[in-house]
Amino acid sequence: MFKNVVRSKRFGLVAAIFVVLFILPLFVPRFFVYIFALIYVTSLLAMSLNMVVGHGGLFQFHHGVFYGVGAYAVALMLTKSSLPMWFGFIVGPVVAAIIGLIIGWFCVRLTRLYFGMLQISLGSLIWAIVFRWYSFTGGDDGIHGIPMPSLISSLNSSYYFILIILVICLILMYMILKSPFGNTLQAIRDNSQRCEAIGINIKRYQLGGIVVATFFAGVAGVLFVVLERSVFPDLLFWVLSLEIFIMCLLGGWFTFAGPLLGAAITVALRTFVGRYTEYWTLILGIILILVIFFLPEGVMGFFQDLFKPGTKKVAERGKG
Amino acid sequence: MILFVVCAGLSFVLGVLRIPNIAHGTLYMIGAFATFSITKIFAGSTGFWIALIVAPLLVAVVSLVAERVLFCHLYQREHLMLLLFTFALSLILGDLVKIVWGAEYKSVSAPTLLKGSISILGASFPRYNLFLILVGPLVAIAIWLFTNKTKIGKISRAAAVDREMVGVLGINVSWVFAIAFVIGCYLAGVGGALVAPTVSITLGMDHTLIIEAFLIVIIGGLGNMWGALVGSLIFGITHSFGVLFWPQFAIVFPYIAVVVVLLLRPKGLLKSVW
Amino acid sequence: MLQVESLMKSFDDFMAVNGANLTVDKGEIVAVIGPNGAGKTTLFNLITGALKRDRGRIVFKGEDIGELPPYEICKKGISRSYQIVNIFPRLTVFGNVQVAVLSHQRRSSNLFRPAQGIAVNETKSILESMGLSDKEKSIAGSLSHGDQKILEIAIALGNEPELLILDEPTAGMSPEETQATMELVKRLANQRGLTILFCEHDMDIVFSIAQSIMVMRHGQTIIQGSLEEVRNNKEVQEAYLGGE
Repeated sequence: MFKNVVRSKRFGLVAAIFVVLFILPLFVPRFFVYIFALIYVTSLLAMSLNMVVGHGGLFQFHHGVFYGVGAYAVALMLTKSSLPMWFGFIVGPVVAAIIGLIIGWFCVRLTRLYFGMLQISLGSLIWAIVFRWYSFTGGDDGIHGIPMPSLISSLNSSYYFILIILVICLILMYMILKSPFGNTLQAIRDNSQRCEAIGINIKRYQLGGIVVATFFAGVAGVLFVVLERSVFPDLLFWVLSLEIFIMCLLGGWFTFAGPLLGAAITVALRTFVGRYTEYWTLILGIILILVIFFLPEGVMGFFQDLFKPGTKKVAERGKG
Repeated sequence: MILFVVCAGLSFVLGVLRIPNIAHGTLYMIGAFATFSITKIFAGSTGFWIALIVAPLLVAVVSLVAERVLFCHLYQREHLMLLLFTFALSLILGDLVKIVWGAEYKSVSAPTLLKGSISILGASFPRYNLFLILVGPLVAIAIWLFTNKTKIGKISRAAAVDREMVGVLGINVSWVFAIAFVIGCYLAGVGGALVAPTVSITLGMDHTLIIEAFLIVIIGGLGNMWGALVGSLIFGITHSFGVLFWPQFAIVFPYIAVVVVLLLRPKGLLKSVW
Repeated sequence: MLQVESLMKSFDDFMAVNGANLTVDKGEIVAVIGPNGAGKTTLFNLITGALKRDRGRIVFKGEDIGELPPYEICKKGISRSYQIVNIFPRLTVFGNVQVAVLSHQRRSSNLFRPAQGIAVNETKSILESMGLSDKEKSIAGSLSHGDQKILEIAIALGNEPELLILDEPTAGMSPEETQATMELVKRLANQRGLTILFCEHDMDIVFSIAQSIMVMRHGQTIIQGSLEEVRNNKEVQEAYLGGE
């Protein structure tokens, strides 16, 4: 497969982009380095959501919980325990995936909307607990000043660390999506009834997809801590979950890189519009409405349609 | 009880229009802020009573504008889009509130009639709470009368169940939806006005409220007004319970109750229109 | 191979299936016929596990499969195609069949190897025998209706079933396509040793390839038998052929 990937035209473009990103810190002010790192973290999170929503068709309404759990797990490990720091980095995603498994197991038994509702309630429960547990989690203040291994403690080094992990995760996600597992997940999204008829245990695959996605969300949480050195309950609040959803929508659900684009746009907007006005959420709201009205497949979907006309119409006809 | 009023509105909109209206919380917030402004203009107790009537109307007008201009084009879309759209709307309205009223805390004081407490059976109850306990059922009865006795109410119920048939019968479905939506939002405004004297009015109140409102509506049964009542009661009671026994984690109790209900009866306790 | 006894299924108050009996022997081609609403599709849904029966027995290869979920029943060796085209519109034709093949080979949960390279031969051979090889890379949603119905059957074959259930396989097809499809089905039955159970409205087809015919009306089995027996049965003539 790698031979095919390397030969494709897109790979050249993607590789060029990554080379640029790698040398970015050399000629760009600190603030931009920070913003880019933030974009990487957010896009990993958005991509992880898209695994279950865009490719799996599940109503994962409270994905932020797993992100927050991963972040808190690593924060707590680094501040409260005396285990080696790198250990905490592994604990984060693992804990997130375990919570994902538990919550997922309950939710998978339900369909669509009810799946989402149960998840919101379970996620909110976790938020409420973290929000109030001052002694352990710092309550609504969160935890600040989290120590980092010296290897990655400067801004530039954490930038590289985050970028490298992002690239690794993207490669893994791409492989998973193109694997039989990923194909099956997409088939379930498109026609779950038929999948059952061809021998697939839907719930098991959906649960598997959830665990994978929440694992990556946990990784994003860890990266967040690396960048910000603090955690707060807002990471677990539903508004963030909805924002991630929006990033996927903005970028395009059904494409691979859509959410990445969506995350980049959102973070960029928030930063740059935020410089000029306090009212950036207003702008975001307006843009969102425009997208809903005019670009239901998201920005990526729009471009895809330009270059590969007919794919969109085909999908619509297939649904009929 | 305040939760009930808000949730009834949310449930109503959900049931008739199938819209999970996230902006509902923001409309509630607008109601509260509007109440603040009105009480500033009409100082004294009468201010509150006026606000109780005018603020929800203001909210209703805003919602009507939103509906006519934007919403009505989107009814054909999937629910997910509608939900995201209402979220966008709540972001916009939320910032509009910030623009009009600024970011500091505001407060409204209750009218003299309802200030202070009365003692009943040896325990003292804030008068305002008693007022709310009265208002709640009144609103419930009003809604019930509306949906069951008036023509529009019956049409809305029919439209909730079968949109196309109602259209075929020659009734302008679009206006029915508009009216239903406005009524639901009016209730949000009422909720906002009612809550104004009891809490400090801030910018985040829409977000905290809406998640609670949605959870209540879900456990009560989507679109079911009595369900909203049951849900709000459960929420309120478990919260008080929590305050009594473990104040630090008081807010956790209602969430646990919600989770328990959903695990046992995922579709809600009472019949849902969906 | 398959035995259905006194099967009953009601939806609220409506008895969709009210005493259905069916026997299918290995290697046979059996047709189920009956007027619209007789309960044929419901019967198929019950056999494949998409619906749960109220009462009665469904025995496949000696085992009662009435309580199993659809994916288990599929693993036992029953595969079906649907009356209304039920494919994966966003995947390619190749992808559509491949999903079924991978499921059969228990390779669907493979996480890291790219799907493109797995089970290629089996998938291609199915596509070839169904005449879809040239359309391999097309997106399924863009095929013509007739081709989609053939793809329907191809997907069902991906599971290498022993019993293939076809729900109105030629509905909506032109006469030539119908003819071609049924030839295909007959050939498949011979080549792969499949047992076939299907339902159809087109009597010509039924009479030309079915070895045993079961007639349903109002959810009940009126009779099951050979061509002659069915043709001469009075009740069948009344119910179905309208006394022609």
